[in-house]
Amino acid sequence: MSKFEAGMEAMVDMYIYETTTLLEQLDQILMKTESASSFGEEDINEIFRIMHTIKGSSAMMGLENMSTLAHAIEDMFFIIREEKPVITNTRDLYELVFNASDLLKAEIELLQEDSYSPTDFSGAKQKIFDFVDVLKGKAPAGNAAQGTAQAPAATAAASQSAEPAEQKNSDFTAVRVFFEDDCKMENLRALLIINKIREDCEKLEYEPADIETNPESAKKIIENGFVIRFKPIGPVENITREIEEALNVKSYEFISTPAKEEKAPVQPAAAQPVQQQASQSVPEKKAEAPQQKEEGASVEQINNLLAQSKSGGTKQSLISVNLNKLDQLLDMVGEIVITEAMVTANPDLKGLQLDNFQKAARQLRKLTDELQDIVMSIRMVPLSGAFNKMTRIVRDMKIKLNKDVDLVFEGEETEVDKSVIDNLNDPLMHMVRNAMDHGIEDTAEERIAKGKPAKGTITLSAYNASGEVIIVVSDDGKGIDPAKVLAKAKKNGLLTKPEKDYTEKEIFNLIMLPGFSTNEVVTEYSGRGVGMDVVRKNIEKIGGSVSVDSKFGQGTNFIIKIPLSLAIVDGMEVTVGKSIFTIPINSIKESFKLKPKQLIKDTSGKEMIMIRGECYPLIRLYEIYGLEPSYTDLFSGIIILVEAEGKSACLFADELIGEQQVVVKPFSPLLNNFKVKQNGMAGCTILGDGSITIILDVNNIISNF
Amino acid sequence: MAGILNRFASEEEEVDLQSNKYLTFLIEKQYYAFPIRDVIEIIEVQEITPVPEFPDYAKGIINLRGRIIPIIDVRLRFHKKEEAYNERTCIIVVNISGLDIGFIVDTVDEVLDIEDENISAAPKISTDRSTKYITGVGKVENRIVLLLDANKMLSEDEISELSSQVQ
Repeated sequence: MSKFEAGMEAMVDMYIYETTTLLEQLDQILMKTESASSFGEEDINEIFRIMHTIKGSSAMMGLENMSTLAHAIEDMFFIIREEKPVITNTRDLYELVFNASDLLKAEIELLQEDSYSPTDFSGAKQKIFDFVDVLKGKAPAGNAAQGTAQAPAATAAASQSAEPAEQKNSDFTAVRVFFEDDCKMENLRALLIINKIREDCEKLEYEPADIETNPESAKKIIENGFVIRFKPIGPVENITREIEEALNVKSYEFISTPAKEEKAPVQPAAAQPVQQQASQSVPEKKAEAPQQKEEGASVEQINNLLAQSKSGGTKQSLISVNLNKLDQLLDMVGEIVITEAMVTANPDLKGLQLDNFQKAARQLRKLTDELQDIVMSIRMVPLSGAFNKMTRIVRDMKIKLNKDVDLVFEGEETEVDKSVIDNLNDPLMHMVRNAMDHGIEDTAEERIAKGKPAKGTITLSAYNASGEVIIVVSDDGKGIDPAKVLAKAKKNGLLTKPEKDYTEKEIFNLIMLPGFSTNEVVTEYSGRGVGMDVVRKNIEKIGGSVSVDSKFGQGTNFIIKIPLSLAIVDGMEVTVGKSIFTIPINSIKESFKLKPKQLIKDTSGKEMIMIRGECYPLIRLYEIYGLEPSYTDLFSGIIILVEAEGKSACLFADELIGEQQVVVKPFSPLLNNFKVKQNGMAGCTILGDGSITIILDVNNIISNF
Repeated sequence: MAGILNRFASEEEEVDLQSNKYLTFLIEKQYYAFPIRDVIEIIEVQEITPVPEFPDYAKGIINLRGRIIPIIDVRLRFHKKEEAYNERTCIIVVNISGLDIGFIVDTVDEVLDIEDENISAAPKISTDRSTKYITGVGKVENRIVLLLDANKMLSEDEISELSSQVQ
């Protein structure tokens, strides 16, 4: 990454992270305001702040193109905020900003490649400038219509400068602020002051007035100082204190105060002593300010200040941590959990009367449990981030496909492990696109004819169920035609048994097979033939599963099940002969001793177990693993009813030992030759006494059987 | 600059020094050896947790200070008779491209210097599978030491077994 100056490379990660987050925020605001079809003042400020931060940090990284593009948008929103023009072509505005946001995102992607060269954004910038011109052209009309009285916060436009101000001098205080030499971006620093004192002022004017839009104004400020005229709500001292405390302010002087109004305007020279006075009165402040200032960090400081002044009371203290460190922490906690059990259940302690030890051990256990919970919770991230990304996709496709669709979230606060969420974005996107493209009917008439509301609905819902997170992507569209799917699968040679043997559920799940795509036409969004099997692979990679459910003509549900966490599971330990196995609790339905009347044998002598009118196949663990069991008699051992991915079976083992939280350790990759996974072993774990048990993968056991 | 070069040179020498060293061990009175640079440590035989469906020479897994490593019985791997473990039986923990694996051997002998000129290529005539994981034959004094490739001991045979099944 030689495209950055030395010393900057370390910042690249941070920059990319920060900018991506900001752009996501931007998208959210845009989406929100677009659906509400109005820009609140807060939204405009927020967009302004985001663009400002991106501009600043991009400039710091030396990414000129991104910085100027962000600047152009910032300028545009400045005009929107300050002049409040009537925006007739809102659609264009959104297109412009969305487009710019996409460009910036793409650029950040590019940035992460080694062969990065800056993209030329001048086309996009020109469009924004054109739009700004339109805005400006209409600005006077807008002002006239709204009336300046309605907007007291609106500051002086460039035309309203010195003259009226002087007339109103009677109740205005005027201050001239000088910034430290070479502190750079004087106009922005001035803006910062204005933003800070605005709330405390009844009326506020400043000169040069174009500090926000015109970088040239910085020069004027250097030469003439920055003049603020204000009428404070409270005491003048509040304002002057703000000015004193602002960063990089070298000195300030009173040009006029209400008391001195006669003198000040006639005798500009009289300001001189006041200035001295003022600058003497703040020598400590002056001394402090330069210390705060670190070279090169000034942009960040401004941004931080902006962020602080914006966020106000709801300040969150967040830090971002490298995920590797968290992984290490989790590993370490896993070790501690094991070691704790090793100590407290040490065989050397057997039979000893150790009251104090037991007490201390209990305390230790409590603390390690808490520690584990905290570490796990650190890694948990709400799904809302992943969901929110979908709003953007739906919005874009709505316009392109000309379909009117609502995207509804349910349970987006459900949390999953960070490693899970990273692998969830692509599948979700794929499914939402599918729902938009194939699911929802092409026209509103078509929907109305079927007795549905004209507007389609896509729902993303998430909830916790027995150690798993279930995410459902559903639409109220056309649904899947089983006959069509079957015909297509037949054509593509995907069928493995006679057509009429397929249940509806099986037919729907054919969609997930590689090389299946129901849409005849390849569109921009889907139908490239990769389709749902990619979704399935991605989900299976993180230990989850996908299934499809659909009612033809009514809609489709894609159901994703993913494990809450990949690292620590609640397990039930069972013995088979001398071996101990761990069965994940979330796949166990119940365990019981067999009663003679429950056992049935089919014609080929296969054993089945009848539970509450349902018949389940029996799998003897010792048989499939070739072990020497303590019991071969079904009535002596224990039966465990397990379920995975909708399939159930009964496992036969010797005994239940107990429930324990275990840290999953994957098998060494060196053992891949031995097909451990295919044989229904998910991994292993170390028990309290240091011995190893094997964690069973119920799903594989059942499907192998 | 020269200093840096010198340092590199000496490091290389160190690697060179290691590369001629081999840890020898005995299986049925025959000497075998792993290159010392692959060997992590030698531990006593401890309780091994069997894993179902493993081939019989893969004895299972052990817990080595919180890490789980697979264990291969070299005796069985070489199709020799199984024998009860005694106090001389050892597990040699070897690193194969970043992953640890343990090999059970009858007894560990010593660390030997075997110069390259004393190593001849592995015999190619035999169809015996065990020659697949022998990288060379070392001659030290009047002893013959078969030099082993730990990686091949684990995988190569499986592949050939599979391909023979296909044929």
